[in-house]
Amino acid sequence: MSSNGKNEKYVGRPVKRTEDPRLIQGLGHYVDDIRLAGELYVAFLRSPYAHARINSINTDAARNASGVVAIFTGSDIEGRVGNVPTAAALEGLKVPKYPVLALGKVFFVGQPVAAVVATSRYAARDAVDHIEVDFEPLDVVVDAEAAAQGGPVIHHDFGDNIAYVHRAGIGDVDAAFASADKIVAQKMHHQRLAPISLEPRGVLASFLPGEQQLTLWTSTQIPHLLRTQVAIMIGLPENKVRVIAPEVGGGFGSKLNVYAEEALLSFISMQLHKPVKWIETRRENMSATIHGRAQSGVAELALKNDGTILGLRYTVTADLGAYHQLLTPAIPTLTGLMLSGCYKIPAISMVCTGVFTNKMATDAYRGAGRPEATYVVERLMDIAAQELGIDPVELRRKNFPTPDEFPFATATGLFYDSGNYQAALDRALAMVDYDKLREIQKSDTAAGRLVGIGVSTYVEICALGPSAAMPAGGWESATVRIEPTGKVTVMTGASPHGQGQETSFAQITADMLGVDLNDVYVIHGDTGIVQYGIGTFGSRATAVGGTAVVYATEKLISKATKIAAHLLTTDEENVTFENGVFSGAPDDKQVTIQQVALAAHLASNLPPDTEPGLSATYFFEPKNFTFPFGAHICIVEVDRDTGDIRIKRYVAVDDCGKVINPLLVEGQVHGGIAQGLGQALFEEVVYDENGQLITGTLMDYAVPKAHQLPRYELDRTETPTDVNPLGVKGVGEAGTIGSTPAIVNAVIDALRPFGVKHIDMPLRPEKIWRVISNQ
Amino acid sequence: MQKFEYVSPTTKEQAVALLGENWGDVEVLAGGTDLLSLMKDYITTPRRVVNLKGIAALSGVRYSASGLRLGALATFDDVLSNTAVRRNYPAIWAAVEGVTSPQIRAMGTVGGDLCQRPRCWYYRAGYGLLAKDETGHALVPDGDNRYHAILGHNSGAYFVNPSSLAPALIALAAKIGVYGPKGARQVDAAEFFRAPGGDGEREYQLSPNEIVTEVLVPAPGGMKNATYEVRQREALDWPLASASVALKLTGRNVGAARIALGHVAPVPWRAGAAESALVGKAVTEQTAAAAAEAALADAKPLSRNAYKVQLARVAVKRAILAAAG
Repeated sequence: MSSNGKNEKYVGRPVKRTEDPRLIQGLGHYVDDIRLAGELYVAFLRSPYAHARINSINTDAARNASGVVAIFTGSDIEGRVGNVPTAAALEGLKVPKYPVLALGKVFFVGQPVAAVVATSRYAARDAVDHIEVDFEPLDVVVDAEAAAQGGPVIHHDFGDNIAYVHRAGIGDVDAAFASADKIVAQKMHHQRLAPISLEPRGVLASFLPGEQQLTLWTSTQIPHLLRTQVAIMIGLPENKVRVIAPEVGGGFGSKLNVYAEEALLSFISMQLHKPVKWIETRRENMSATIHGRAQSGVAELALKNDGTILGLRYTVTADLGAYHQLLTPAIPTLTGLMLSGCYKIPAISMVCTGVFTNKMATDAYRGAGRPEATYVVERLMDIAAQELGIDPVELRRKNFPTPDEFPFATATGLFYDSGNYQAALDRALAMVDYDKLREIQKSDTAAGRLVGIGVSTYVEICALGPSAAMPAGGWESATVRIEPTGKVTVMTGASPHGQGQETSFAQITADMLGVDLNDVYVIHGDTGIVQYGIGTFGSRATAVGGTAVVYATEKLISKATKIAAHLLTTDEENVTFENGVFSGAPDDKQVTIQQVALAAHLASNLPPDTEPGLSATYFFEPKNFTFPFGAHICIVEVDRDTGDIRIKRYVAVDDCGKVINPLLVEGQVHGGIAQGLGQALFEEVVYDENGQLITGTLMDYAVPKAHQLPRYELDRTETPTDVNPLGVKGVGEAGTIGSTPAIVNAVIDALRPFGVKHIDMPLRPEKIWRVISNQ
Repeated sequence: MQKFEYVSPTTKEQAVALLGENWGDVEVLAGGTDLLSLMKDYITTPRRVVNLKGIAALSGVRYSASGLRLGALATFDDVLSNTAVRRNYPAIWAAVEGVTSPQIRAMGTVGGDLCQRPRCWYYRAGYGLLAKDETGHALVPDGDNRYHAILGHNSGAYFVNPSSLAPALIALAAKIGVYGPKGARQVDAAEFFRAPGGDGEREYQLSPNEIVTEVLVPAPGGMKNATYEVRQREALDWPLASASVALKLTGRNVGAARIALGHVAPVPWRAGAAESALVGKAVTEQTAAAAAEAALADAKPLSRNAYKVQLARVAVKRAILAAAG
């Protein structure tokens, strides 16, 4: 397996994840696995009301309960812990003050009202029941579209519930619609989803009063950004705060945030001089960790009779919830960016109204605004195809930019770097034998069977991103160091939490340095060790963070070459480096990278003016996003008697550029499709008319289970990109983005005999049966 | 969770002596898949929990010429892995196989399946078995009743019996063995369940100081049987409707039939009209559909659960066709 001295490279090969042995054996350390001597436990009293005034809080009985050490309420900490921050900056954005513990009022079910600190988690939980709160229920705002029109106002100072109105798009849309032969329009709803990471959130904070140092173990995707924000919130110097993201059991965007609990536990540890821990329960996770999606709007497409698209309009309401979390208001703006899909659309307009409701905040959930755009565009394409009598595949083909039209400028202000949408679609069509499939569908339909074929072609915006387009930096960092013994340490500012970059970054570095994969150790997620970084989200870790690794390694090789030349007593330009060995012309003496590393540390025989040691750091700023794309095809059969949907085949062809490790890519696609399928068929966060969360447990919120998923038939095309030297584009969210419309399009196609134009997700069997039985 | 006393007897005599005179005072623990969540949510707050798992005599699955004995502590996995059950009692096997999640199949027991409490979300939210608000107003009829009863709710109980096994046991004319201070007795599976009149009662014919010890299923004797569950992929991991059917065929025609529906009424629902509709006829798509119509002829859906009537029809029809196989 070693590539040292051999020609075989690790990159591109299905190297098994080096993370897995410890995880499979239960030997990994998640936040709850980290135990500190004397640690105390925190449990929260959370609001049972969606909107209420807090008239009084009586904690006397709880303070006297067994094991209770301290109790904190909003008024106890007022002015001592900063508000939960939002990084989104939009014109005219209204930002309500978001205290870490409710002050005077509560605004959503699950909002923290009081924190109990006790000697055990049981004592803490039991004591919560002894806190008496006099809540006075207030009028509740649940429906975002209604809330935009008027009615009770959540944040009184603002006068209404509209947080912002965002306009996006370029081109004369009105003229496009005026000149159209055909206009199709559809109201569509993207239901609220819960990200549901297997590991919920968890925080362990430990303050050392002598050193005035705080260590915060937290299940996060952004340790460095979190460090900055928490330091500000609790008033400690940033360099006295160390954030550690140990094993993180899934994030999907929900841990790309700064949560009240992270700052509050830090504060409590500073007050009590003891380590304090809180591990989120699933119910808390459902109610007080961010949700995703929750857009509702009317989408319209203007076309010529021959299928040429002239313009697209999307008028949408985004249900933001009661407060802004880190990126809440920004998520729908990503929808606006991606409304061109894979198509040439000369004029696009989105008007998005962000609305406050008495619910948990929405924020980034796998795809984060792009699945909404793709769904809107891909549903419109199918509706238009049906109304124009054109095959949905032909309509797509007709409007694709050709490969030589890249970089392709959209009417949303983006430049797609590269693409070959035809190739991905052709491959997927070939895999299902599309023409034959349509023939079989005809005979199935004649026999009374309800079989549907759904196609979705998507493009996404990844590798977030150039810093100019990001709220808090879009670069990424890496340090590569060779230790005296020749072992290689890579420190990445990205914070992988399941994606497998411990393996793939080691592959990259091992190839470049010509060392064994097992000699490379990748460290991430610890601000005390790793240089400042941005984190893992937006399918960026490999495209941006991996590129930083490449450039840092190049820098290191450059220095090593200088030392090697000295050791080989030749000039630098005579030295070649291959498979871990420096060779010097003219007499072909050799020295290994490990020998150079030792020499760099012994420092007794270095070229003049050379720093000892062998380490390099690089901060990579990408010049553009990347735009991966693909084609998904889903074949379903609907049970006529029950409306139940069975997925017969699922084909996905994704183009994420060059592949470092195909196992990791397939894993990402599998998981992404599962989550997209969950949205299409099962999942929905439901609040009732009182703002009560009905789907508060996994008994009520339907995540797909392994046996409910189809067999995935995957393939890839590979269109190069010059955005980064690895040629990678990102694949973390592709499955989620491509799959949802493919599945919905397939079901609607199956229901063609009933003249169905659209059904909102999730496509529960009862909805289907009502259509079939005309109930 | 409220504090409680925990006792682990090793004989059924000891167990029964530890039980109380009133429901709720003492709870019985077998697999714990239901009891623990009820206790965590304060739906039940017993003074004492009696763990039955130490009573070896209550476990085991045994098949012989005289029939099948399922110990009350036999787990779903015990039943599923028994080849005699799979061969002779496909109605039972399919019902157990449908119980979702490997964890529940590993922990859940036969006795627990019969005695588990309703999944009604009003009950689980603390509104009581009859789901009434503080003024005594019934919440289900104009509330979110999508999973509630479509049959047999005139008593005022709107929940549905959650047992997976019960319809199959009724179709197969099984008996349920019970033990109490007065000794052992047997109850027909079809008579075991009842619609309670309030929270002081339970959904089955036990005294507070009795426990289920075993289930006895007669030898199949040529009864062809099957269970069909409509189990949609929603979060709630109980079927929306199920039907179990046992048929005795005389030549091509049905000589005798027993049909029971699950998850449609406060008790497992014996469908006598469907049985009558089928007897004397050959099993075909048409006769099965007619029997299904007959089974649901008296259905009274609530405001939001008309769909369940259709699903129950589908279950009956498909169970009949599967049994006739």
